[in-house]
Amino acid sequence: MRLQIELTTQPIDLRRELPRELADAAGAVVEFQGVVRAEEDGHAVAALEYEAYSPMAERVMRRIAEEVCRRHPCLFVRVTHRIGVVPVGEAAIHVVAAARHRTEAFAMVTEFMNRLKRDVPIWKTRAFGRHELAASKPQ
Amino acid sequence: MRVLFFAHLKDVTGTAHAEIKLGASLDTDALWQKLIAAYPGLARHRASVRLARNCEYAGANASFDDADEVALIPPVSGG
Repeated sequence: MRLQIELTTQPIDLRRELPRELADAAGAVVEFQGVVRAEEDGHAVAALEYEAYSPMAERVMRRIAEEVCRRHPCLFVRVTHRIGVVPVGEAAIHVVAAARHRTEAFAMVTEFMNRLKRDVPIWKTRAFGRHELAASKPQ
Repeated sequence: MRVLFFAHLKDVTGTAHAEIKLGASLDTDALWQKLIAAYPGLARHRASVRLARNCEYAGANASFDDADEVALIPPVSGG
């Protein structure tokens, strides 16, 4: 299984292609985007800020993906989590799992996300309103 | 020992990181006592905060010494 784990402060490139050598082997590609909503805890927001304990977050995400893949074998998994300010409508996380069949790929994404939300040291630290977000941007 | 604080714990302690001298190995309970003595506001968060030692969650029987990097991990909310 090929595994790519990335933290980035930049918008996630959702159109990155799979490694070319997987094209013939993968019968299923399951993709998940966790997207910032315009409402958080009952309040209108324009963006959320994410903070990570980066070395541990990467290590824990890698371990979770490896453990889940032992039960649900996948050919390729890519996890990209954005940190910093993420505007509404943009992805905070993007998970791609490619497998021979759909069952493993769906299970991989679901179990990975469930465990990420319990154990990966990443936090939503601040919600920005529309005016706060505008004020935070460089002129 | 280098100690890291994240999310709202930075507001509780007023810092993102600190250097704390232990002098000897401490178990989890003794480390918490030391942390709370330095930052009393941490006391009410102890039940919900996990300790990580050198980027791994520390078990109940972990011991900590001055060479370790310890992170206080409040409930996570990534994704």
